[in-house]
Amino acid sequence: MEKLTVDTLRTLAKTQGLEISDGELAALLPLVEAGRNGLAAIRDIPPETEPASQFRIF
Amino acid sequence: MSELCWTSMTELRRMIATKKVSPIEVVQAHLDRIAALDGKLKSYITVLGDAALAAAKVAETAVTSGAALGPLHGVPVGLKDLYCTKGVRTTGGSKILADWVPEEDATVAARLVAAGAIVLGKLNMHEFAFGPEGLNPHYGTPWNPWDATTHRICGGSSSGSGASVAAGICPGALGSDTGGSIRIPASLCGLSGIKPTYGRVSRAGVLPLAWSMDHVGPMCRSAADCALMLAPMAGYDPRDPTTSVLPVPDYAAALTGRLKGLRVGILRSFFLEGAAPAQQAAVLAAAKALAEQGASIEDVDLKMVNLAPAASHAVLAPEAYAYHEEWLKTRASEYGADVRERLRVGAFVTGAEYVKGQRLRTLLKNEVDAALATLDVLLAPTTPIEATAVGQDEVRIGNQRLPVRASLIRFTRPFNLTGHPAASVPCGFTAEGLPMGLQIIGRPFDEATVLRVADAYQRLTDWHTRRPAAAA
Repeated sequence: MEKLTVDTLRTLAKTQGLEISDGELAALLPLVEAGRNGLAAIRDIPPETEPASQFRIF
Repeated sequence: MSELCWTSMTELRRMIATKKVSPIEVVQAHLDRIAALDGKLKSYITVLGDAALAAAKVAETAVTSGAALGPLHGVPVGLKDLYCTKGVRTTGGSKILADWVPEEDATVAARLVAAGAIVLGKLNMHEFAFGPEGLNPHYGTPWNPWDATTHRICGGSSSGSGASVAAGICPGALGSDTGGSIRIPASLCGLSGIKPTYGRVSRAGVLPLAWSMDHVGPMCRSAADCALMLAPMAGYDPRDPTTSVLPVPDYAAALTGRLKGLRVGILRSFFLEGAAPAQQAAVLAAAKALAEQGASIEDVDLKMVNLAPAASHAVLAPEAYAYHEEWLKTRASEYGADVRERLRVGAFVTGAEYVKGQRLRTLLKNEVDAALATLDVLLAPTTPIEATAVGQDEVRIGNQRLPVRASLIRFTRPFNLTGHPAASVPCGFTAEGLPMGLQIIGRPFDEATVLRVADAYQRLTDWHTRRPAAAA
């Protein structure tokens, strides 16, 4: 997985219409990376595991 | 100082119904105390003095005329300022909603009033409920009443609820809990609080932090008062499709004091072993007290619980971002710096990561369900630490230095992901005189057993009856 950078975050933010200063992006970067890395490290979810969210029409 | 301000909600209701005290006296005593103390405590954002006194006069007329009285008749309550109140501003602890006046009440606010409760005001909180410290740059950070000299956090996000009930300026309050926001301030302020099962209490008219993790519940000075307050709040609400149609049991009747035969699991690794020594000792002493009354105790480990931080990041962050997206594009400067930063993190979580987080929740829920298949309740420390000073970012637990924020939510967040009911009750004080909390986790929709254990423990101990010196 390619490492995130401030430039990457800036591009992603702009595509969503978010104006975030470089200083703020630099502060965000370790938080986003930590979340991303924490999720990526979990690889052994049993395939039959469904998401906890439910779609209910009743 | 009026002793009425330290009287339980249960007793206030009895005294009002038997005409030993007027609802007007009760409300006025609390308003006087708010005026005397809240300049420092900063637990209220909006005090509804005139409206509360007017409601108290109506309540008194009902008593004197012999009308049927609700279960909370004449009893004052406070509402965390994310519960919509018709005609009364609801700020969410934010600058963005500083002047927003809803056109209808949150279901639980309406249900409490229908039960006879009198709303004293709207309580301070971490901005938009997004922080476990209970800080607020817009309305001031509430002061923990357990330390008169050092400005300590109350825990959050329901920090105003914690400060007000602990200081005797409100006998019971509504909190809300997405990662521990009822249980953390209950622990740090020496209160009893319960996060009911997801779906037990309506979230309609409650400003969301993360729809699938938000829970609504009471914070009081005893488990018995929590039972009294929860009863009229609970149950199906057509305005919230996630509420359950399961019947609501009689919570007060469940408070039998009986512990004999109760099967209790202590969450050992991650929870007990991750807490500071004082919290460990307090929880073990609480378990011993339950065992002496006939409960059986065994150790339990939840191996999946290490997944909780990643799952929470994947689910909470994008749900919170989705709610705030438009304001983050147009009014970002109006957020406090900490909340703005946390909300923006959610913009960078992918759809696949969100679904992965929801799948991790399934694994974690299944594991907690499996543990509770043979046990009635689980015990853990509510928080690994006591209240820290405002501005303190790190804390030492054993030989580790850890962030305060992550430490505060470590033991509570897993049960927001699983949806199980979980209460916190006081279980001791540190050497500095700061309260510690015992967390009691139960089976889905079995709040009655959680409250029974909490109440039975409070019949054996007096931690919940102590008063903070700063509020004396």
